[in-house]
Order: sequence, then C-alpha cells, then structure tokens
Amino acid sequence: MNADDPDGDLVRRVGEGDVQAAEALVARKLPRMTALAHRLLGDRAEAEDVVQELFLRVWKSASSWRPGAAKFDTWMHRVAFNLCTDRLRKRREVALPETWDAPDPQPLADARITAEQQSDAVGRALASLAPRQREAIVLTYYQELPNREAAALMGIGVDALESLLARGRRALKARLEEADA
Amino acid sequence: MHEMDLNRFERLVAAYGATPSRWPDEERAAAQAFARADPRAAALLAEADSIDTLLFAHRVAEPSRTLRAMVIEGAPRKRRLAGRARLWWTGLGIALAGASGMLAGSAATAALEPITANVLMYGHEDVPALDYSAEENAL
Repeated sequence: MNADDPDGDLVRRVGEGDVQAAEALVARKLPRMTALAHRLLGDRAEAEDVVQELFLRVWKSASSWRPGAAKFDTWMHRVAFNLCTDRLRKRREVALPETWDAPDPQPLADARITAEQQSDAVGRALASLAPRQREAIVLTYYQELPNREAAALMGIGVDALESLLARGRRALKARLEEADA
Repeated sequence: MHEMDLNRFERLVAAYGATPSRWPDEERAAAQAFARADPRAAALLAEADSIDTLLFAHRVAEPSRTLRAMVIEGAPRKRRLAGRARLWWTGLGIALAGASGMLAGSAATAALEPITANVLMYGHEDVPALDYSAEENAL
C-alpha cells in the first residue's frame, strides 16, 4: 500500500473484511463526502443517495484497491464528483421550474441574522452559480483540494480553474448583495 | 509558474482568497513577500477576505446516524469467511466421524463374524473416500 496515502492501510483492512476499519473509514470520509455531494447538488436527500452509492463502490473496490498515481481520497472524490455531475446532467435534461436556481431574496445584512440564516443564504447563492463555478468553489474551498487536483477532477487546466474560482466568487458576492438590497 | 507582480497577486487572491494556506504551494512565499512589500496588496486582501467570510458561513448538516448505519451495513465482513471456514470444519468433522463409525462398525463385525469381516476388508468400495477437494473448491 502506498506509504504516502493516509487512507491506504485502512482501505487494505477494509478489503480484508475488518468491520472496525470500515467504521473508521466511514467516520473519516462520510461527513466530507456528504458535504461535497450536498453542496454540488443542493439537496440533502440526493446527497445521501450519492454517498450510499459511493460507499457501495468503496466496499466493492477495497479488496482490489492498489495505489496508483491517485490517493484513495482523490479516487473517492472522483467517483462522488462523477455521480453528482451525472445527476445534475439528468436534472438539466428534464424541464426545471423557472425559479429553480433563483436566489431567495431574503435579507442577509440584518444585524440580528442568525448563523443558520446566513448559511442558508450562502447556500442559495451557491446553488444559483453556474455549475462549473460552483464545482470549482466546492472542490477548492470546502473540500480543500489542491488546485491541480481540483482542476484534474474537473478536466480543466489550473488557469481555467482560477478563472472559474474568481468569477464564481464575484458572482456569489453579487448574488448575496442583490438578495440583501 | 507565474511571476509575482500586482497583476498576478490580484488574480491569485481573486481565485484563492485571502488565506495564504490556500494559495498554490509554489507561489505562496512570493505572494506573501509581495503582500508585505506592496501597499496595494492590503485592499485586495481585504476584499478577498470579505468573500471568504461569506463562503465559510455555509454549513451543511452532519450525516445522520441512519445514513451512517446504512452505509456501514454494506461493508465487507470477515464473518462470511469465518462462516465458510466453520462449514468446512463442520463438514470435515462429520466426514471423520462417519469414517470412524464405519471403522468401528467394521471392527465389531470382524470380531463377531471373522469370515464376513475378511470380505468387508476388501468390500468398502461403496464408502466414499475422504476427499476434501470439493469442499476446498467450494471456498
């Protein structure tokens, strides 16, 4: 197993049928992968479906997992990312309500606004971004992937990633200011 | 690798925000040096920081216990292998017990009816041999 892969030993033990290792892997990865899917899809129930599918693939692959160029966490991100983008593609193929991605014009700047309300407002602004901008922001900021890894997952170069990040951040701020106006 | 100047610094913080730990490894030191040396950097960092603050206000709920349990339920388990091994040993035990019973029966028969016993010594073709290969193959 790859000594540089912090998940390598755990995955090997999962592949040997060690349930404690499986529980440890779930404790380590489930919150991270659920957050990824939730932010990309903007829907908790769909995110849960995705992580269940993701872990089914993890369980199937664990015994045959061999470290290659990618770490296990990167592999999981790739599978989760592809599952999410497949779902988003299917969504676009069906007619969506016109207001599907419209930000909810709730006030943000109220001094008494709660953290939860602010989180909701940012969530709505994130959901309203162009999909590629949202993907770039989620992978870079929330999942904290290095820029090359995020770019590779998205199938683009680092310069294109930076452009998506900058436009996404500007758009996010503008959406929140619009909602606040 | 980009040369660090005002243009690059502006693009860097517009993309990666105000926190140096998020900047690309290969540019971090140069960007930090630029931020210390150029007074125009402060305004760019403040603008980027305000967007960072908005971004990190977003929280998602922790996975539920139900989801965690459903996910773990599908994990591969040693128990299946242990179960198979137990079956193997059980099969072996039954076969050995059967074989020893037959041997004991044969001995008793031989003691009681020596002539028949001589016949039986050569007459066990109908008793299945202790062949474990099928069980091994089944594992």
